[in-house]
Amino acid sequence: MAELTLGVFPSLVGSMSLDFSFKLAEAAIAKGHKVNMWLSGNAVMMAKKGQKAFKDYSHLEKRMKELMSKGMEITVCEACAEARGYHKEDVPEGMKRASMDWYLAKTVKTDRLLHIGGE
Amino acid sequence: MKLAVFLSDMRRTEDTYERLKADKLGVILVENGIYHAVIKEGGKESPVLSKAGATFYVLADDVETRGFTAANVNPKVKLVNYGDIVDLIMNEYEKTAWL
Repeated sequence: MAELTLGVFPSLVGSMSLDFSFKLAEAAIAKGHKVNMWLSGNAVMMAKKGQKAFKDYSHLEKRMKELMSKGMEITVCEACAEARGYHKEDVPEGMKRASMDWYLAKTVKTDRLLHIGGE
Repeated sequence: MKLAVFLSDMRRTEDTYERLKADKLGVILVENGIYHAVIKEGGKESPVLSKAGATFYVLADDVETRGFTAANVNPKVKLVNYGDIVDLIMNEYEKTAWL
């Protein structure tokens, strides 16, 4: 098993890159890899629990919880979250908040890194 | 260095792209980047596909989501799924970049 770290810096709700990131993470876990995910910029939308799943919108909370139950570590940028009004009490169970230091530390130690830029 | 480059958009990124050099270069077309593999402008394929020495891949899910099929994909480009991309990242290439 190797370790893959994904840094995700996408745009708003319905982001293609955010969808891509979760599907890639799912595939990596299915192959037995450890996956870390850093959510920054507008990706911190995932740090708000209780979002409604509309039919025509991407809804990733369920998939995110399933992946975390399989060992995926997800951490959101604390400053990015606070800037958007997402506070500590909003965070879904199992998700962490941290400063960019967390991501930087992962980028040094991980076997592979994919830094997914904005749209 | 073995480098995998992800192209996620149809916008022209040739300036950065053309400067990339690697001992082994893989170009993985995802999201709207798949259009480089399936359409021609003025009868010519995307200049992205003229990168010398590169191996090209396109994500089948994103091709199908946009209404194309394998028959529409340029023969230079290999169709891959998410699991294949994981294997490319973990086994074939040492570094990745997202353009």
